[in-house]
Amino acid sequence: MNFNFTEEQLQFKNTVKSFLADECSSDSIRDGWAAKKPFNHDRWNKIADLGVLSSNLPEKDGGFGIDQVALSLMIEEMGYAALPEPVAEQIFLINDLMPLLPDSIKKEIRNTYQTGSKLISVAHPFSPNPLFLNDAAGLLLFNEDSYQFALTEDIDFIPLVSNDPSRELSKINSIQKSVSSSEEFEKINSAVAARGALMTGCLLIGLAQKMLDLSSLYALDRTQFGKPIGSFQAIKHMLADVAVKIEFARPTIFRAAHSLLENNPKSALHCAHAKYMSAKAAELACKNSIQAHGAMGYTWEMDLHIFMRKAWSLMACWGNEDKQQDIIYKTLTSSEEELGVLYTF
Amino acid sequence: MKINFTEEQNIFREEVRSWLEVNVPKKSLLSLDTKEGFEQHREWEKTLNSGNWSMVTWPKEYGGRGLDLIRWLIFEEEYYRAEAPTRVNQNGVFLLGPTLMEFGTHEQKSKFLNAMATGDHIWSQGWSEPGAGSDMAAIRTTAVLEGDHYKINGQKTWSSRAAYADWTFGLFRTDLESERHRGLSFILVSLDTPGVTVRPIPQLDGEPGFAEIYFDDVIVPRENLLGEDGEGWKIAMATAGFERGLMLRSPARFQQTAAKLLKLYYKNKDQCSPMLQSKVVEAWAESESYALSIYHTASKMLAGGSIGSESSLGKIFWSELDHMMHQTALKILGASAELADSSEHDAAQWIKGFMFSYGGPIYAGTNEIQKNIIAERLLGLPK
Repeated sequence: MNFNFTEEQLQFKNTVKSFLADECSSDSIRDGWAAKKPFNHDRWNKIADLGVLSSNLPEKDGGFGIDQVALSLMIEEMGYAALPEPVAEQIFLINDLMPLLPDSIKKEIRNTYQTGSKLISVAHPFSPNPLFLNDAAGLLLFNEDSYQFALTEDIDFIPLVSNDPSRELSKINSIQKSVSSSEEFEKINSAVAARGALMTGCLLIGLAQKMLDLSSLYALDRTQFGKPIGSFQAIKHMLADVAVKIEFARPTIFRAAHSLLENNPKSALHCAHAKYMSAKAAELACKNSIQAHGAMGYTWEMDLHIFMRKAWSLMACWGNEDKQQDIIYKTLTSSEEELGVLYTF
Repeated sequence: MKINFTEEQNIFREEVRSWLEVNVPKKSLLSLDTKEGFEQHREWEKTLNSGNWSMVTWPKEYGGRGLDLIRWLIFEEEYYRAEAPTRVNQNGVFLLGPTLMEFGTHEQKSKFLNAMATGDHIWSQGWSEPGAGSDMAAIRTTAVLEGDHYKINGQKTWSSRAAYADWTFGLFRTDLESERHRGLSFILVSLDTPGVTVRPIPQLDGEPGFAEIYFDDVIVPRENLLGEDGEGWKIAMATAGFERGLMLRSPARFQQTAAKLLKLYYKNKDQCSPMLQSKVVEAWAESESYALSIYHTASKMLAGGSIGSESSLGKIFWSELDHMMHQTALKILGASAELADSSEHDAAQWIKGFMFSYGGPIYAGTNEIQKNIIAERLLGLPK
């Protein structure tokens, strides 16, 4: 039993953190919003050059073969920076899922998506409106009892407007041509849902931490009644409540990632747990951060809403708190195992 | 990262389990806050010690097994799973014990840790005073050094377990000119000493779980000073860290409560709304998170890290969780939630736990004080 990160895992996290601190400023995100082109190809290419997009591919395919725990650490940083490009989706929903997919679909994806530099979008009943389809080479689509892969040129779709201007969504009208399969549907469907839950969970923890940091800085800076508002207990307690939520959500992320790594039979439960806890943390972070910022928090000018909007979207997709709760309840009540202390590890 | 138990850890778990299966009393003990129940619980401490289970993390020479924190967590898991009696000496083994280990002399360690392990010394806590609750630095009880002893005068209150305990530890003002947290010292006092008067205070459940302690020219040998004279605040903060941190509330009790709550809901679900189902899931999710977080912390500590203000986060989390779980249980029970006779109704245990859970956000430093600590020391907000 060792719940510590390895040097290597932390190194990946820090590389991504410092890259995004330089390359993904709030100003750069706002530029993308203003141009109605939130997907920044220059940044996407740099991320590809950094090796992040292929980081979890096997070494023989040009990747570093890094594990899901390191991925989670990296994705948390993508949340912290509110990175608009779907890097997390790419590495967690495509790269990590690939080994599970049947050869027919794997081959199609490989043909389209060679070194991890070209985007593949994903749609699933829990997240039905794929991201950045205009920039994607293809789409992996999950239906009620089958899944299919189609090239973007074979899909008829129309744009949808997200409340987060960083997210360009599409509605799929029809697909002219695709490779479809229902092989091991239950397993693969549950695997993608679990990864979607964990991925959004990681992003949400990063976002919650960012909102807390912004609020703490604001509370130090803003003066009323002759002192920083952060010296008042009403503000302190609000932000401390957020810190508590984040602290106890974060380990659930790493445990879920570890369960995927170990093919733990409870990994779907653990991913649902991670999303449930991080969505709750992010929800409180939004509420209390805007409150700590006062009227400034309610403006377009303040950066807070860049993070808040992304959090609202990510709480909703890939299974919101309510859906995860349902998964948890059904898993626990159908368990043959003894619940309680022995059930955890 | 490898979040699985090793073969050796599983063997250890088996060893704990088989010992508890044989030794945990089949009939539950009387409440430890009654005179008879207290002595039954002292006997249980002796039984634990006979199996060498008083505190597995202590060095062997002081009655422990010299094992690491992961083993202690495993021990606790099996302990709660076996529904073994509450540790009447938790003030001693979980709070003073680690403090002695860090600040005690060899003589103090051999004398007090061994007597703690055998159950001969059951400890109470002596922090609060009538004028020093959340504001602990306002302590006024004095301990004046006179040659080879201290003379103590004043009053402590809300002293947990003091009604029947043998000893108390706490902070006393040794420098009469000092103010606030300077000039305080950490002293151990036998409650048998002449001049000590203990006045039990009945708690919400009617039983004297805590007491007032009056000191009237109480003579205490100088060797009962822990650490240096005037260093008491620092030592007390370390003790408070253990209390709020992983020692006082290991995750097992909450995981077991969450599992029972789920069972209770499942049995009664036809009479409940989906709102309660959501609370039951929240209970499982949070107790599970608490366990993961504690294993994370224990791993950090084993790798040489230490636990600081982060312990305040945990204290808020488990105390709120415990209250929520008991509140939910009583809602599931509907109108029988007031039936307090344990021989006839399931509700009685939940009611007891429910009342106790109101104490969680208060003792070991109120949650409001913890939030100030988090805001000032972790988030960098000004005092």
